[in-house]
Parts: sequence; structure tokens; C-alpha cells
Amino acid sequence: MGTLTGKTVMITGASRGLGRALAEAAAREGASLAICARRGEALESAAETCRAFGVEVLAVLADVSDATDVERFAATALERFGGVDVLVNNAAELGPLPLSQLTDAPSSALEHVLEANVLGPLRLTQAVIGGMLLRNRGLVVNISTDAALIGFAGLGLYSASKAALDALTRSWSAELQHTAVRVISVDPGDMHTDMHMAADPEANPDDLLRPEDVAERLVTLLAGRLPASDRVEMASFE
Amino acid sequence: MIAAPRELRASLPAELRGIRRDGARLCVVERGAGRISHTTVARLGEHLAPGDVLVVNSSRTLPAALRVDRDGAAQVQLRPGALRDGEWDALAVETSPPHRNVPLKTGETLRAPGGLLLRVLKPRGDAPLLWRMSVERGDLVRTLLSAGEPIRYSYVPVAVPLEHYQTVYAGAPGSVETPSAGRHLTWELLGELRRNGVDVADIVLHCGLSSFQDDDVDLQKPLIEERFEVRAASAARINRATRVIAVGTSVIRTLETAADERGELQPMSGWTRLVITPSTRLRAVDALLTGLHEPPATHLDMLGALLDTDLLERAYAEVRERRYLWHEFGDAMLIV
Repeated sequence: MGTLTGKTVMITGASRGLGRALAEAAAREGASLAICARRGEALESAAETCRAFGVEVLAVLADVSDATDVERFAATALERFGGVDVLVNNAAELGPLPLSQLTDAPSSALEHVLEANVLGPLRLTQAVIGGMLLRNRGLVVNISTDAALIGFAGLGLYSASKAALDALTRSWSAELQHTAVRVISVDPGDMHTDMHMAADPEANPDDLLRPEDVAERLVTLLAGRLPASDRVEMASFE
Repeated sequence: MIAAPRELRASLPAELRGIRRDGARLCVVERGAGRISHTTVARLGEHLAPGDVLVVNSSRTLPAALRVDRDGAAQVQLRPGALRDGEWDALAVETSPPHRNVPLKTGETLRAPGGLLLRVLKPRGDAPLLWRMSVERGDLVRTLLSAGEPIRYSYVPVAVPLEHYQTVYAGAPGSVETPSAGRHLTWELLGELRRNGVDVADIVLHCGLSSFQDDDVDLQKPLIEERFEVRAASAARINRATRVIAVGTSVIRTLETAADERGELQPMSGWTRLVITPSTRLRAVDALLTGLHEPPATHLDMLGALLDTDLLERAYAEVRERRYLWHEFGDAMLIV
């Protein structure tokens, strides 16, 4: 029996990168999964890999920047599993590629980045957290980044959105302090993912973490090894 | 007797009228003392006590109005009365107000976005405006979630996003109209109630249509079954209650279906056809938080099981005088 057997874990952006690695790690630990992504083939391939561990997987083609898609993902997951134990808001947008510095970027691009990185997680969390509160248990993990705290040239739109997501996490954490439902931010560190390589094409993959290794450690947190703080940096998470 | 002037029909939810969900007004009717007072939903806790259990309906509302294509005829809007696996009973109405009923033909096929294909079987014997349909291809609930919109009546003139129809604790989807009494509740309020010793437990009843878009048929109050579930954990918590406060008449229908002669709840799921009338002896419910609705709503019959006609009429006269708002986005009443 795995550490997540009997639990339902919901992950956005699960077709590649950290989201996919986390879905596989959670499946290995016995979790039932509700996963979504925008790319159908890659999502189905991730779902098949997870099903090979003998767990139930609901894969929904959905774009978290779209309110109707978010509701459809949440409602179908709740219909299938009845409730959600863990939600990981992982899907994120960097902004228009190649990245531009703030002075040069189209201001309108921030709207889409905020829809995907802030409104999407807000809507999805609102859709499932009520059930968690009714049962008085549950965990929401918002994937963050050091760019939420530090300025990096070219990452301004992404940074702003992740700082906003961190602010939602902190507010939620304060509002839920008398409950057993937790909302936390996790900074996974710099990983060798498509997103990181898009942000920094010069990066040396050997200097980057493997998403599979980060996922292995993150899954122990999902299984209940919760930190006292509402922000976790995986680099220092033991 | 109990009717709302047109201008008192809430056209927007509280949170789009500049107040919070729990800022809605609350008329408190005390059965024992025959007393009527006025407050807001946010102050509900002043009328509850440690040991009480507030029972909510956690059914999620579907965007259940679906526009479909017909062969050789104008589009119609379908409104499901009861959803089952592979089959459903639906009202077929015009796509624009006043949404009058449209007769379908037995055997005809209807097409919805995303590839959903329905075949019209026959009108339902006990409610002929509902058409039984088989799902020939596609998935009904997923189609509604992608292409449907909330069912809306004439007193809500502009579309309101689905999130405003959801309660803050909505779980699995299945209601075609919102279990609206719970729409007033916020987690800020529910958390405060819990900290003060009032438990909050849920049941599920997937609410059906409140109108057949036909005044004569609505007056006859056709009895349509609704799917419900009382889980073991909730039943145990509700059975320990000092007082059971139902949030909405859908909760009364469910609890009274699942309660035995002594009022003990049994974990149970299925379809209920229970009708509550003024002569029903309630076994499981002590109090009710509800919205304000008009005749011919079966809702008012249910209130009759809790209140005598005189007190009910006095309460409705007061809320009308104080210009409470009615219907799913309106104000509320607590009967204790």
C-alpha cells in the first residue's frame, strides 16, 4: 500500500515537466488522480503511464486560463471521485516567447499570464476547497518560484503573477488557520523542464534538477509530511 | 396570499448588488413564541446553539440549459428534469424568453456542440412536458459543462456567471437548479459557527426544475423524483445533533426520506419522490433556513409542515412590507 492510497490528488499541467513527474510519483504511491493539460496526446500518454500503477486516472483536456475549462475539470473530478484530498496548482505560463523585458513587453500579455497563473488557481481552489472544508481535511499546493521573490530580467510578467499567487496562498493560509485544510506555496527549484529552457535557453541542463527527483520528494509532502510554514523551498526541504 | 411584487424579485445575487452573500436579510420566525424578527444571514449564529447541526446540500449546480439543433426546425433549449445514466427527461423550450414549451417529435434526433446526439423517445406519462431522451452518442454532463448555461427565469434579465449559482461548499455536480438557500452561506460564517460548537454536515440532493414554463402545469405541481445521498459520516453527525437545522427544502426532503420512524438517519442513496405537505409530521428536522418563494412552489407546502398558516402568512406579510427580495438570489428566512 502506498502513502497516498485512498487519496485523490488533482494536478494541473500534468502532461510534462514537474506536473507529469508528480502525477507519476503520486500514482506510484497509490493516489487516484485527476489531471489536466492543454495538450491531448501528451496528457493521455501521462495518464497511461499513471494507470500502469493500477490507479484510477481521470484526464481532462483543459486550459486553466479558461473559467469554463476550470469548472469542467473540477466538476468532472468531483463527479468521479466525490472529493479531492490534494490539489496541486502546477500549470503556469511564462508569457509571450521569446521573453521580453518589461519595458519592451506588450502590457496586454500580462492579462493572459494572470488568467493562467493566478485566476486559474484561484478558481480551481475555490471549486474544490469547499468540499475539503466540509470534511475538514485537505491540502492545496501552489507551485511557486524564486522569481516570486526576486527580480530576474525578462521574467517580469511571470514574476508578478507568481508573487500574486504567493499572496493568495498567504491570505488563504491566514483565513484557514482554525481549520485542518492547508494552502501552501512550494518552490521546487530550477529544474530541467521545457519551461525553464524556454525562460533560459542558455541554461546548462547539468546544473538543473530533474523534475522526477523533485517530484519524489514533493510527494512525501503531499502524503502528509507538512511543514509549519506556508512556503516550502524544496532545496531545503528534508 | 403569498406573492412577491415584481420589483421584489432579486435580479442579481447579493455579491453583485454590493453586499456579501451573507449580507442578505434574514427573517427569523420562532415557532414556539410565535415571534418574528429581522437580522442578516451573517448573524445566523445568534439563533443557533452548541450541539446544533446545520445540514447543507452540497450538490453542485450544472449549467443545465443546453441549446440543441433539430433537423429541419429551429433550435430548442433543453432543460433536464432528471438525469440518469444514458437517459434523461428534459423540457424543450424556445431559445429566447419567454421560453415557451416546444413540442418535439418521437424518434427525432437532437444535436449539441461537442458531438452529443440525443434521440427523443416519448413524453413522460406523469409529466407530459418532459421528454424522455436517450443519449445515443457523447456524454451529457460533460456537454453541459462545456456548452450549457445556468437555467434562468425572467426575473434575472442578464446572464449571471455560473460561480454565483454555486454554494461555497458545492461538491459533485447534478443539480439543474441551484440549492439556493445555501447560497447565502460563506465559509467565514460556517467557520465561526463551527468554532462556536455548531457542526456543519452535508447531504446531497440533485435539485430538479422548479418550473415547467407552463402556468397550468406548474399549478398542478407534478411530482418529479430527485436523486439523493446521505453518507454514513454525515448521518452519524446529524444523529448526534441537539437540533437539526436544514439549509433549504431539498435538505428536508432528503432527511425525511432517509430517517426512520424515530427520526434516526440511515446512510442511504437513491431517488426520492417524497412530498412534504402541511400535514407531514417531520421526524428528522427541527428548523429550516430557506429562501423566499412564491406559489405555486411546493416549497411553501413544505414550510407548512413547520409553521401554522397564520404564522407563515404573518412572516410573509412582514418580509413583503420590509421589501425583502425573493427567489434564488434574494433574502432568507430562518424558522426555528
